[in-house]
Amino acid sequence: MGREKEKEKLSEKALNLLRSRLSDPNFIFRPLPDSPDSNYSKLKFIISTSVTEACNNSILLLGPRGSGKVAVLELVLSDLLQQYPEAISVIRLNGLLHSDDNCALKEIARQLCMEHQLLFSKVASFDDNSQFMIAMLRECGLAHKTIIFVLDEFDFFAQGKQRLLYSLLDAMQSVNSQAVVIGVSCRLDVDQLLEKRVRSRFSHRKLLFLSPSKEDTERFIEHILSLPMDSSLPHNYAAEFNGRLKKLLSDERFKELIDTYLSFNFTIGHLVRFLFQAVSYMDLNAGFLSLGNFKTALSSNQRQLKLECIRDCSVLELYMMVCMKRLEVKEQASYNFYSVMTEYKSIHDSFQTSDYYAANVCLRAFEHLLQCQLISFIDNKGHNQSVEFRPVKLLISSAELHQGLKSYQQCPAILLKLMDR
Amino acid sequence: MPTETPRKQFQSPKKPKQSPNNVKSQSSTPSIHLSPQTPQLPLRRSSRRSLQLFTSKTVDEMLDLSTPRKALEALDGIGKCSGNNRKGSSVRTPRTLKCKFNEEDREIPEMGKVGEGNGEVSPEALESKKRKNGLSEEGSVKMGKSPKCKLNEDLGKLGEGNGDVVSPEKRKKGLRNEESVKTRKSLRCKLSEEEMEIPDLGKLGDATFFPVSPQALESKKRKKGGEKRAVTRAMATRSLKKVNKEEKKGRKRVYYKKVVYDGGEFEVGDDVYVKRREDASSDDEVPEMEECRVCFKVGRGVMIECDDCLGGFHLKCLTPPLKEVPDGDWVCGFCQARKLGKDVEFPKPPEGKKRVRTLREKLLASDLWAARIESLWKEVDGSYWFRGRWYIIPEETASGRQPHNLKRELYRTNDFADIEMESIIRQCDVMSPKEYAKANDQGDDVFLCEYEYDIQWHSFKRLAEIDNDEDGECANGDEDWNSCKEDDSDTDEDMEYEEENERNAHARPSTTPQLAANSRKGRFFGIRKVGTKMIPEHVRCHKQTELERAKATLLLATLPKSLPCRNKEMEEITTFVKGAICDDQCLGRCLYIHGVPGTGKTMSVLAVMRNIKSEVDAGSIRPYCFVEVNGLKLAAPENIYTVIYEALTGHRVSWKKALQLLNERFSDGKKIAKGDDRPCILLIDELDLLVTRNQSVLYNILDWPTKPHSKLIVIGIANTMDLPEKLLPRISSRMGIQRLCFGPYNYQQLQEIISSRLKGIDAFEKQAVEFASRKVAAISGDARRALEICRRAAEIADYNMKNQISSVNSSTVKDVVTMADVDAAIQEMFQAPHVQVMKSCSKLSKIFLTAMVYELYKTGMGETTFEKLAMTCSCLCTSNGEAFPGWDTLLKVGCKLGECRIILCEAGDRHRVQKLQLNFPSDDVAFALKDSKDLPWLAKYL
Repeated sequence: MGREKEKEKLSEKALNLLRSRLSDPNFIFRPLPDSPDSNYSKLKFIISTSVTEACNNSILLLGPRGSGKVAVLELVLSDLLQQYPEAISVIRLNGLLHSDDNCALKEIARQLCMEHQLLFSKVASFDDNSQFMIAMLRECGLAHKTIIFVLDEFDFFAQGKQRLLYSLLDAMQSVNSQAVVIGVSCRLDVDQLLEKRVRSRFSHRKLLFLSPSKEDTERFIEHILSLPMDSSLPHNYAAEFNGRLKKLLSDERFKELIDTYLSFNFTIGHLVRFLFQAVSYMDLNAGFLSLGNFKTALSSNQRQLKLECIRDCSVLELYMMVCMKRLEVKEQASYNFYSVMTEYKSIHDSFQTSDYYAANVCLRAFEHLLQCQLISFIDNKGHNQSVEFRPVKLLISSAELHQGLKSYQQCPAILLKLMDR
Repeated sequence: MPTETPRKQFQSPKKPKQSPNNVKSQSSTPSIHLSPQTPQLPLRRSSRRSLQLFTSKTVDEMLDLSTPRKALEALDGIGKCSGNNRKGSSVRTPRTLKCKFNEEDREIPEMGKVGEGNGEVSPEALESKKRKNGLSEEGSVKMGKSPKCKLNEDLGKLGEGNGDVVSPEKRKKGLRNEESVKTRKSLRCKLSEEEMEIPDLGKLGDATFFPVSPQALESKKRKKGGEKRAVTRAMATRSLKKVNKEEKKGRKRVYYKKVVYDGGEFEVGDDVYVKRREDASSDDEVPEMEECRVCFKVGRGVMIECDDCLGGFHLKCLTPPLKEVPDGDWVCGFCQARKLGKDVEFPKPPEGKKRVRTLREKLLASDLWAARIESLWKEVDGSYWFRGRWYIIPEETASGRQPHNLKRELYRTNDFADIEMESIIRQCDVMSPKEYAKANDQGDDVFLCEYEYDIQWHSFKRLAEIDNDEDGECANGDEDWNSCKEDDSDTDEDMEYEEENERNAHARPSTTPQLAANSRKGRFFGIRKVGTKMIPEHVRCHKQTELERAKATLLLATLPKSLPCRNKEMEEITTFVKGAICDDQCLGRCLYIHGVPGTGKTMSVLAVMRNIKSEVDAGSIRPYCFVEVNGLKLAAPENIYTVIYEALTGHRVSWKKALQLLNERFSDGKKIAKGDDRPCILLIDELDLLVTRNQSVLYNILDWPTKPHSKLIVIGIANTMDLPEKLLPRISSRMGIQRLCFGPYNYQQLQEIISSRLKGIDAFEKQAVEFASRKVAAISGDARRALEICRRAAEIADYNMKNQISSVNSSTVKDVVTMADVDAAIQEMFQAPHVQVMKSCSKLSKIFLTAMVYELYKTGMGETTFEKLAMTCSCLCTSNGEAFPGWDTLLKVGCKLGECRIILCEAGDRHRVQKLQLNFPSDDVAFALKDSKDLPWLAKYL
């Protein structure tokens, strides 16, 4: 008993370690940087040259979500902050928060003030703030300090007149400063969004963050999941854990499983989420990762949401959907509650089903379908109209509906028949 | 009036030289606080503090003898001094002193309190108070502060001198009755007190005062040539102010740009050696030439300077003798030996001859000072003064000498002082690094100054290279300010009082309310703080490679020496501007400049304005004012009025008020101030941003030049050629017909621009530059792009080179930018990265994209819905043995692609009816997916 408890404790410790690793971007992206082709070293080179050689740069980090743009950037910044502790100040903006030029400039001024222990005034105007920013750029340039502007969700800054980008980039081309503007975006065409004068001033360095190759993925999984041999964990436990992991990794079924998972979204962030889930399913008594854990994680990931929605519907709602589907088959492009009711009635009249409800009950069912987003209004017009008159559209395809009906336990046979006709 | 006598004495600066024994006594005093080592800084600080209290005495004591002060100065110094006159005075004064002491004893406790609390009490404040009481004739009161016990002890010991430690309130009462008795005598001692020893005071201060602000530049004192007087930096400043004030009603200072003094010509902006203290050698002839370190003779052939110890050597005195001066750094044999760890002794000078140190050596040993002349003037009493900005040597900074400091390096401080011209020894040359690099044989007095040192924050900052421009403007502003200051002498005291406050505020930032840095009122308050505590070593010691130099010169921010390829346009602008300025009427002058971005529009105009400004400085053109506005940097188009008005007058008002005032000025010809009749050139960049709905802003601005007497010239810059045509006819007619088009650069021009920047740097293959310029010329003709491509290419080459060096230790790596690098840069800049993303995306995404293309081919319609696409997908999957993942997963895949903008899609909640469209040509998709390894069957459908 005591041994078992101890073992459980051990495995809990291992589990905690793995989880903390999986939620630490530094650990995840640390092994990638070494090679000269990696984005890490390229980015680090660009930023550190502007620190040491006193030049301005602007870089775009592009890549799908979850490919580690910000994580790598943070890694680079933390390394550089260690290397040049005094010489770098980082200003972080997010397009979702600061897409308005005025508030973005205010935020820049605020962070600059914070960074240099100056007093900040909330009421300063746009002009004041932009003059302050330019003055600071100049002063920092003279003091060999680099200001790094990180603009997350860069595409939101590239909207409207783009005053912020213009004044920033124009200052960088006219003032002797050392500043780096780093735009982070998942939109690949973000530089096309820039206004022509802004684009001309932008220095168009681009770093593309792509999904890792298959071999990298395997190495990556092993790197994350294998326990360290020189930690507080007992040596033989760690060794056994790693041995089993290795066996698991070489298992064909495991590879297939990972493939299926990644076939839909092939990014590191996505993979990490999956691994976290799988690790959390680890059996604490056994203390080792097994194929089963990964399978459970995969199945919990492959949920068909619309089908589950259908499973939760009442029979009446199913009737309504089938009616809509029949209307669509009849090439009736748009329908509202009353046309659906007519169809419903006609079904009832011809088949004499036991499930006939009054119109107000049907309306409730109709509203529920709207809330589930199984159906939706065609347009946003007619907000003042009552629900039953607005045209709606079925959001679920007939194939899905058919599948859903089949998996529905108490589905009346008549419905399946009606589907086919 | 008793004031007469002192004046006379004051005015005769040419006093007999110090008696030799006096000199000795001074030079022999332990120069504790003068030694340059940093560890002793606190001590010096405190000493300076104490000195400041006495500062104002030197001059104004002469003017008003009534004040019973002096106890402190008399303390140690007098006792030690053995000057003749001093003795005489000390004999005569005792009685007065006695009675003084009584008074003093009473007051000192209070003083001590004050002194401790404030650290420094501004004399001005006191003075102004006193004035109000009708005591102006009597001069000012100084507050000495020191703990009572110390003072008493000292006083007792000395039994001489009259203390002046008086609180302001006391003084008012006490002074009157005693003044007449004392004046003469106290004057005597005053004279002698000028010889007081500051070191001793320093010691005293050390014990009694704690060092306060970080502001302390060490206590600098200097001796005036003839007079025996020790003056600190602050002393000079203070005393002068007072004199100035006293005499303001009568005459004024006269400012000069250039002064010939004592055989030397001194100009504003010159750097000079300033005497620091009297020591034995300073009275000797200052050696113009340095002696050889070996033969100790001057002259006789070429000398070479060791780059390490800065010693001079005759070429032939060296072993082995050199024929000519070698290129590059040269280190003498002694230094080389020392570096190797040997114990070396420099050859001793021949018996009886003392090695004479040059001024440079003295400066670097901090026995002298250097300062930059900021302004020159003649005082009302006929003496010449200048306002100097101190230079300090690295050892005097908080961080001490750093390894990367050069031997001849100085730092400019933000510390000013008013100094009498007497103390100037001669000129020296403090140069920027660029000039310094060129200055090979300009003698011994050459120094390098690259950084400014902030004495409050102990931080360094590079000197801005374009400083000169702004300094010029600043100087103008200052003069205006000064003149108006002198006009109204009533407010003057307050102003100085404020100044004083400001100074104090700077010294103790914690106690005074701070202003926000980013608000207009604060005007970047505290921005001075920004600076490095240490100059990073990599900046100074790193030797640039060719590639790095190329990168630096290709930066957009670096202003090229010449602006090639825009000569014609610049000439046109020049004739336009000159014609407009020289014309008396300046009627209806307006120029519209258009061209695509990056064709040098703004740059050309600014270059023209610079040229014209230099002509104005030379005096060939009448002065004008130049206002530059950028449409995109305005928060709203109407704000332009505010900006223009502020630029013209310096006042900030709301835009409506500004519009009204500007209308008054330009349309009605009402001139507010005297400078207003100068023609005004208004440059509006990004003019198209000023177009409002009713276009009133543009109308107003373009309407002013048509008014008589407006003297306004408008230059508008925008990108579109037909902007005037798009505007209302009344505006386009006012805009006139004068247009200037900046066409896109062609490839020869781009090539010329790049190679003119790269002149002298061998980092690019010739074809590489041509390739880049051809490419850019074909796409946009944007010079910025071309420069950026080249810079990026250099960066790529640099990156590759550094990586190769780190991986393989081969020296065969060539550091030249090749075609391949340029090509990589162009690819990066112009190519959207979608192909790469498509190649590396997930399996389902590939199938999704293939289905999109397939659907496109099948239907010929660009737009499709998710329902149709899902059907196609499932068809593709089933017929090729892939598992169909289900609609919901597929929807997510589509949304992911939409996020990257590979496809355009509606929001995901539209589900089945979601509309989809490829964002890139289907050929790109086909190209990207044709040979995908994991899904070879995709090629069938593409």
